[in-house]
Amino acid sequence: MIICSAALLITDPASFLPALSDGAKKGLDTAIALFVIYAVWMGLSEVAEESRLTARISALIKKPITAIFRTKDEAAAEDIAMNVSCNLLGIGGAATPYAVRAIDRLEKQQNHFAQNLLFIINATSIQLFPATVIAIRSSAGSSAAYDIALPSLLATAISTGCAVCLFLISERLSGRKKP
Amino acid sequence: MKYILPLIFLSVIAYAVFRRVNVFAAYSRGVGNAIKFTLQLVPVLICVFIMCQLFEVSGLSAALTRALSPVFSALGVPQELTRLVLIKPFSGSGSLAFLTQVLSENGADSYISRCACVLYGSSETVFYIYAVYFARCRQKRRLIPVAIILFSTTLSTICACLLCRIM
Repeated sequence: MIICSAALLITDPASFLPALSDGAKKGLDTAIALFVIYAVWMGLSEVAEESRLTARISALIKKPITAIFRTKDEAAAEDIAMNVSCNLLGIGGAATPYAVRAIDRLEKQQNHFAQNLLFIINATSIQLFPATVIAIRSSAGSSAAYDIALPSLLATAISTGCAVCLFLISERLSGRKKP
Repeated sequence: MKYILPLIFLSVIAYAVFRRVNVFAAYSRGVGNAIKFTLQLVPVLICVFIMCQLFEVSGLSAALTRALSPVFSALGVPQELTRLVLIKPFSGSGSLAFLTQVLSENGADSYISRCACVLYGSSETVFYIYAVYFARCRQKRRLIPVAIILFSTTLSTICACLLCRIM
C-alpha cells in the first residue's frame, strides 16, 4: 500500500483521494453483492441443517476429513465437509460461509494445520464443473461452450494437487506436526 | 445442467418438509445469519478494495503487466491474457469484466477466449479468500500457504494454456 501511494504521489497526486473513496465504494458494492448471494444460500443451508440433512451428508465423508485435517472437532469437520461438497458442485457462494465457520472453530483449538489446508484447497479452486464460465461463454455465442469443462477440470486438479503436496512437504520439513 | 440448482433447492426443501421443519422460519433465520456474517466482512472488504484501487490507479498494475507479459508469453501464456492472470487473485468482478471483454473481442470460440475461460474457471481470488477467511484469526502471517498457492496457480495457468492448445 505504501509503495502504491508513493508511486501515485509522483505520477498523479490529485487522484489519490478519489482512488481511496472509489476503492471503499467498490468494497461496499461487493459486500452488498456478496450479501445477496450469502442470504440465498445461508437461508437454504439453515433449512438443510434444521432437517439434519447436512449432518447426514457430512456423516458420509466425516471420517476421512477428520483424518486428513487432523481435527477431532465434529462440528468443524461437518463444516469442512459441507464446504468441500459445495465447492465441488460449483456453488462458491454457499461454500464460503461454511469455510469461515470452520476456520473460526479451528481457531479455538489453535489448529493452524487444518486452517491452512482448508485455505489452500479453497484458494486453488476445486470444481467439478465450471458452470459460471460455461454460462458466460454460451451467452457470448459459443458453438461448443462445454468443451472447456475438461481442460478446466485438469487445470484445477493440477493446482490443487500440487499445492496440497507442497503444503504437506513443507509441514513435514518444518516439523510442526499437530496431533 | 441448468436444472441442477433448482433441483438442489427443491430437494432440500422437500426433505425439510418431510422432516416437519418450519421451512420459512429456518430460512429467515439463515438470512439473519447472513446479515451478521456480511457485517463482519465489510471492514475487511473495504480495506482490500481500497488497496486494489490504489494498485490500479497508481499505474503499478499496468507497469507490472507490461513487465511480466514477455515472461508469461515465454511460458506459453498469450500476451493478451497477462492482465487476467494478474488481476484474478485480487478481484473476481474485475477479472469477470475482463473475461467478457476478451470473449466479445476475440469471439467465443477462438483460442484466446477458450484459454481465458479455462484460466478463469480454474483459479480463485486468492487474496480475497485470504482476507475473508482469516479476518478473525490472530495469527495473520501465513506466508508459506500463500506462496504455495501462488506457485500452484501459476503452474496450472501454464498447463491450462498448453491443454487449450491440444484439446
